[in-house]
Amino acid sequence: MKFQIEDVTVYFPYDNIYPEQYSYMVELKRALDAKGHCLLEMPTGTGKTIALLSLITSYSLSKPQRQVKLIYCTRTVHEMEKTLAELKLLHNYQIKHLGPAAGILAIGLSSRKNLCVNPTVLAAENRDSVDAACRKLTASWVRALAAENPNVPTCEFFENYERAASAAVLPPGVYTLQDLRAYGREKGWCPYFLARHMVQFANVVVYSYQYLLDPKVAGIISKEMQKESVVVFDEAHNIDNVCIEALSVSVRSKTLDGASRNLSRINQEIERFKATDAGRLRAEYNRLVEGLAQRGNLAATDTWLANPALPDDILKEAVPGNIRRAEHFLHVLRRLVQYLRGRLDTENVEKESPISFVASLNTHAGIDQKTLKFCYDRLHSLMLTLEITDTDEFLHIQTICDFATLVGTYSRGFSIIIEPFDERMPHIPDPVLQLSCHDASLAIKPVFDRFQSVVITSGTLSPIDLYPRLLNFHPVVSRSFTMSLTRDCICPMVLTRGSDQLPVSTKFDMRSDPGVARNYGKLLVEMVSVVPDGIVCFFVSYSYMDGIINSWNETGVLKEIMQHKLVFIETQDVVETTLALDNYRRACDCGRGAVFFSVARGKVAEGIDFDRHYGRLVIMFGIPFQYTLSKILIARLEYLRDTFQIKEGDFLTFDALRQAAQCVGRVIRSKADYGMMIFADKRYSRHDKRSKLPGWILSHLRDANLNLSTDMALHIAREFLRKMAQPYDKTGTGGRKTLLSQEDLEKMAENGVQEMLF
Amino acid sequence: MSTAEKRQSNGEAEEDDDDDDGDGHGLDAWERTYTDERSWEALQEDESGLLRPIDNKIIHHAQYRRRLRSLSTTAARIQKGLIRFLYIVVDLSRAASEMDFRPSRMVVIVKHVEAFVREFFDQNPLSQIGLVTIKDGVAHSLTELGGSPESHIKALMGKMECSGDSSLQNALNLVQGYLDQIPSYGHREVLILCSALSTCDPGDIMETIKQCKKSKIRCSVIGLSAEMFICKHLCQETGGIYSVAMDEVHFKELMLEHAPPPPAIAEFAIANLIKMGFPQRVAEGSISICSCHKEAKVGDGYICPRCKARVCELPTECRICGLTLVSSPHLARSYHHLFPIVPFDEVSPRQNVLHHRPPKTCFGCQQSLLNPGNKPSLCVACPKCKQYFCIDCDIYIHESLHNCPGCDSIRHS
Repeated sequence: MKFQIEDVTVYFPYDNIYPEQYSYMVELKRALDAKGHCLLEMPTGTGKTIALLSLITSYSLSKPQRQVKLIYCTRTVHEMEKTLAELKLLHNYQIKHLGPAAGILAIGLSSRKNLCVNPTVLAAENRDSVDAACRKLTASWVRALAAENPNVPTCEFFENYERAASAAVLPPGVYTLQDLRAYGREKGWCPYFLARHMVQFANVVVYSYQYLLDPKVAGIISKEMQKESVVVFDEAHNIDNVCIEALSVSVRSKTLDGASRNLSRINQEIERFKATDAGRLRAEYNRLVEGLAQRGNLAATDTWLANPALPDDILKEAVPGNIRRAEHFLHVLRRLVQYLRGRLDTENVEKESPISFVASLNTHAGIDQKTLKFCYDRLHSLMLTLEITDTDEFLHIQTICDFATLVGTYSRGFSIIIEPFDERMPHIPDPVLQLSCHDASLAIKPVFDRFQSVVITSGTLSPIDLYPRLLNFHPVVSRSFTMSLTRDCICPMVLTRGSDQLPVSTKFDMRSDPGVARNYGKLLVEMVSVVPDGIVCFFVSYSYMDGIINSWNETGVLKEIMQHKLVFIETQDVVETTLALDNYRRACDCGRGAVFFSVARGKVAEGIDFDRHYGRLVIMFGIPFQYTLSKILIARLEYLRDTFQIKEGDFLTFDALRQAAQCVGRVIRSKADYGMMIFADKRYSRHDKRSKLPGWILSHLRDANLNLSTDMALHIAREFLRKMAQPYDKTGTGGRKTLLSQEDLEKMAENGVQEMLF
Repeated sequence: MSTAEKRQSNGEAEEDDDDDDGDGHGLDAWERTYTDERSWEALQEDESGLLRPIDNKIIHHAQYRRRLRSLSTTAARIQKGLIRFLYIVVDLSRAASEMDFRPSRMVVIVKHVEAFVREFFDQNPLSQIGLVTIKDGVAHSLTELGGSPESHIKALMGKMECSGDSSLQNALNLVQGYLDQIPSYGHREVLILCSALSTCDPGDIMETIKQCKKSKIRCSVIGLSAEMFICKHLCQETGGIYSVAMDEVHFKELMLEHAPPPPAIAEFAIANLIKMGFPQRVAEGSISICSCHKEAKVGDGYICPRCKARVCELPTECRICGLTLVSSPHLARSYHHLFPIVPFDEVSPRQNVLHHRPPKTCFGCQQSLLNPGNKPSLCVACPKCKQYFCIDCDIYIHESLHNCPGCDSIRHS
């Protein structure tokens, strides 16, 4: 269908549109007009992605003088593929209506592991080794060598791509990763480098968060994006954590050992070069004296390391004299590793600010701040000079230099925390030194500054006013949309008491109470006999889940559950969990029914959908607060309080509730779906906790369901499931219109938009 | 509302109750009044917590319209399976003893199966029914396929107990084994009354479903508690209907929906000639040996036109020569399924006002079409004769009368 939003003609590939999609587009359009950032919350299953894509592409079609480039960031490769598939549908529709003039180029960009077509490279098992294997075949000196000696292996795809030179372009169209690989195979061009090359010309680029937020990668991939781009962060409820992780480094004793090995290897290389090709090292020295940064005119294949600090913070200066020589630099690194090893060897937890850390480093190891700052660039230059290709072997020393550069560059918003053992297992020594970033706004600031519109969107962004404070920006639009439903297909409940009327909670002082475990067990036993197919249970932590499952096993609760449904458990092992999930799905399919035990903040809670019969009920046992005694969290809370005036309690509750919402939100993925959510903790009934849940859950949380005991919840569940099993009209009846056709929209445009929507 | 604990602790006492309930008179006095009236169910709580009477009429009518429409979309010249071979599978697993239906699911099921069997033979005189139960994960055949309602009902009234798991696959396998022997003109159907929420199967149920589809068995399921994916899948695959009962009344309605013959499966609906006999009634007072009970009987019987054997009731298959024996009213009763009345158009109150002034009374019952307060209420109009009817008459005409009074009176005048 085709309709007008103000002065933009929107091409939408479906015949009907949800009202919330329409208002989402209206808000988005206003943000684009204002050239500002926006924050939009809309529940999953309402077609956020297609609304976004069709508005933005239509926007640039309507305004040919203002070409808007769309940079769409997703969290996982799977989401990337889904987005591109949706875009393909849209693109076909636009081509059909506008002819070839509407042609755009849209590509997905991912790591070599997902794009490579060379069978020998693909044989490597993880991402880093694929990268290294690729470099072994494509590095500029390897190719130079191969030009002389035909026995040196190279990658034929890359060679073909290089030979084609400027002719190697993608014709307009939408390319998923799979399409890129197929195209690459067909033409014999390397899809990865082709995609990286085409990123500059594409109208739509879909890639991972890291490509924009992690300065190490962003410096290479995203530096040539023009300012007129619209950046979209999808599923961005955890964006602050991604930002923080991008700038945090942790060093363990294993890292230090590896770094020492790396250093001796580099030393050998240097010796070898001195003996054979001393001129090369001298050339590097001269270059550094002249202050030439090594980036700039390097071959595409050689740029794999960029500075971990943000572009604005990198000094445009020459590398200081004391590390220009390779041997000297090596000495500095040795001393640094030695110093870190000394710091790790401690009995008690230490917390330090970067400034005092650098000062102590200066007195003990004689390395000043400026030297630290250049560690990363210097290492990069050295490794290029030494023609090292197996970069995956050198990850440890890279981590150390990463750490050094960050600690040298930033004095605020970071702290260094040394813990001799894990808080929860004090008997096992596992010293770790962490440089943790507390300020999510640091990593995302360049993105906000550089691009004219940044859209942050997700199904759960509540409370929506906290995100601008955490990320330190001013959105021109920030809105939360609710779902328009033809029937009340979600049924959230707050369960505060067990069947014996005693309160249930995972509060610290009640956690070990056997009564609570029993009541939780009772709840689950009752629910498995009433709810068909799949049930998902989320616990607050692995240790709590282990404890409670143990006690259920002893008291026979587990056996009772097994009479009705099979039980599957998420573990920290990815393979095991995948297998469990697979079998869980199968048990749901064949009618046996199953329960899946999982952990909030775990992999399953973040990325796996339990839609349709795979999840008819989700039970959130307790409130998933972070481990509040964690030193990093305490430091971050302090920083947030001092810098952004966010109270500790507020942040903790916000964080816990968004996790809870994320967990229960797994259960409903489309409007035709239905599901129940039980928040099993007495604290959820308190207003300060409850009000932080997203609006689309709150609007279905009736006052009557706020303070339930097990038997009441059981009764409601029975009624709800019966009601939902009845056939229903998709279009909605009477006053509640939930699917708008083109005529409806035209009518709305005449009558003024707002009053008809909600 | 009863909690499950209560249920468990009362497990034994309840079984005793069930025995009495078997014939439906074992309710305590206080229970009996409520099962009849259930006045509280006519109330619902709205958002502000106030109690309101449910406007059942509108809801029921909407449901009815939807059903009618779904039937009529393909209704133009549809072939219907009039000779049906239906197995009713009653799930007697642990879940059937739950007490959310009063006095228990099992009793309610048995009660309505009985009513259904009578209604079924009333509407499909040429068809046969068999009963199967699932208990402890195993399916048993309670009665063989047969055309006499009494024998099935008698078997149903016997002592019933529920225990163990349910197994959909076992039931389907058993039924499929029986139905595969049916001659090709018969329509194979299974109606599963499922109270369990999980099925514990020995093998791959998907395979069994595929086989059912292959042998053209139409499987329908009525659930008693919630929607199950596998049941839905089964019905979708085999072309049956899946529904879940809200309460006892709804359950009864859903059961009765299965009484009229379903549309014939397309590739299966080859026109077939079937040889049938129309036996004569035995003269009053004559004594002969009946072929079905093997004993001498006086009067009250029919004689097979081909082999002159005596049978007690119709319709049946002659025990001696295998001829299908029916009476002509049986055939006539199946007639209206083939030529249904077109569904009436709904006239919304607003449209009513815009139109030229509509009649104030229903053409059928002559009751006023206006709500109290003189607001026009929902009514329907026949597309052929353009007469207006009230909702009650609409349902009556389509479900029982099978004639439109408007059209018929035009023809007469």
